[in-house]
Amino acid sequence: MTVLGVTWGLLWQTIWVSFAAGIGVAVLFSLVILASARASDARRAGQDVAAIGFGALATITFLVFLTGVILGVQVMLAK
Amino acid sequence: MDSDIVLWIVVATALVFDFTNGFHDTANAVATSISTRALSPRLAVTMAAVLNFAGAFLSLAVAATIANGIVQADLITPAIVFAGLIGAIAWNLLTWYYGLPSSSSHALIGGVVGSAFVAAGPEAVLGEGLVTKVIVPAFVAPVLAFAVGGLGILIIYRIVGRQRPGPVARGFRLGQILSGGLLALSHGTNDAQKTMGIITLALVSNGTLSEHADVPTWVVVASATAISLGTYVGGWRIIRTMGSRIIKMDPAQGFGAQGVGATVILAASHAGFPLSTTQVISGAIMGTGAAKRVSAVRWGVAGNIVVAWVLTLPASALVGGFTYAIVALLGSDGLGPLVVSVVLVAALIAVMARRLVAGKTLTAEG
Repeated sequence: MTVLGVTWGLLWQTIWVSFAAGIGVAVLFSLVILASARASDARRAGQDVAAIGFGALATITFLVFLTGVILGVQVMLAK
Repeated sequence: MDSDIVLWIVVATALVFDFTNGFHDTANAVATSISTRALSPRLAVTMAAVLNFAGAFLSLAVAATIANGIVQADLITPAIVFAGLIGAIAWNLLTWYYGLPSSSSHALIGGVVGSAFVAAGPEAVLGEGLVTKVIVPAFVAPVLAFAVGGLGILIIYRIVGRQRPGPVARGFRLGQILSGGLLALSHGTNDAQKTMGIITLALVSNGTLSEHADVPTWVVVASATAISLGTYVGGWRIIRTMGSRIIKMDPAQGFGAQGVGATVILAASHAGFPLSTTQVISGAIMGTGAAKRVSAVRWGVAGNIVVAWVLTLPASALVGGFTYAIVALLGSDGLGPLVVSVVLVAALIAVMARRLVAGKTLTAEG
């Protein structure tokens, strides 16, 4: 629907995509930090299995976060 | 008078605008990183300058010539562009002086709208374009960023709130370097393109370049250099406002504002509804502050920023229109732009000389 020249569908899409991407980035990077901190604590406490598990979680979430950054660069270049 | 003179005056003015655009918008990429000590001030502006320079070369689809879809393109003359640029530069310098972050793109659009209105009357301005490309996004950007930034920081605190503060702060500082870099690169691909568009338009309208020619390499290099030099000089007054005068931020809030802000900008761009970087980052900073505690935001400072946003379009339009009137009076074919340029450069030199004599630096506060 277009009112006053504004395509409201596009505006709505902008709002939900921004919310999804913004919250997604916040969650992902927080998980990277949480998992890294837990892995470091577990290593200090001698809990090797937990340290490996949290380390893996940190790596995976960081890779997903990096994929988001690469996607961002692609969006930038596709303008 | 030789039309080449007008052409080179427009080119020089466009590069001056590019420079002010760089130093006015440095804050978007570096203010939160400097405030949370993720980067030292000099390192932050150096990184932003290098990425702005690189960004200018990444995408050469000289998208938008100025105010595309907002003014009647066939009515645009070099004198209108010149007056519009003066309006934008004047607003950028005024808001920088008062340390207020405002959109350089909106200032440029306002300047050109004002000069086109005075030159060709109301039919030169496309009202619908103004509503869809400037006014609606100007309402959406800060509110959306405020909401996403606020929700983002609440989730961040929820996830990392019980961890030791040291590693958490270090982690978010690292994240800020990445998000700041992304913002600086995005600024280079976006804003340097506008200057390239203006210069190319001037070259085409002067007959120096054919209509379908590629952007000359010297235009790309000059635009990239001007915006990165401006970024390196750094608009410290605005950096101070965004970094520490709106809220006193911790590294998590810094990442929340900058990382989430960068995401909102790119997501909106992907959805085809580009938003002002300045308004998004400022809105996100306010959101991350208010979500922690409403009184954490200095609402007086925030109010001044909002007033500057509201005034950007009419004020730069007023200066653009007034400048065009003077240019037209003196002769828009050469003498007008020449006289206005000489008077403005002389005034700028006088102001700089007074600051230097008074023992003040040229760009820093005080």
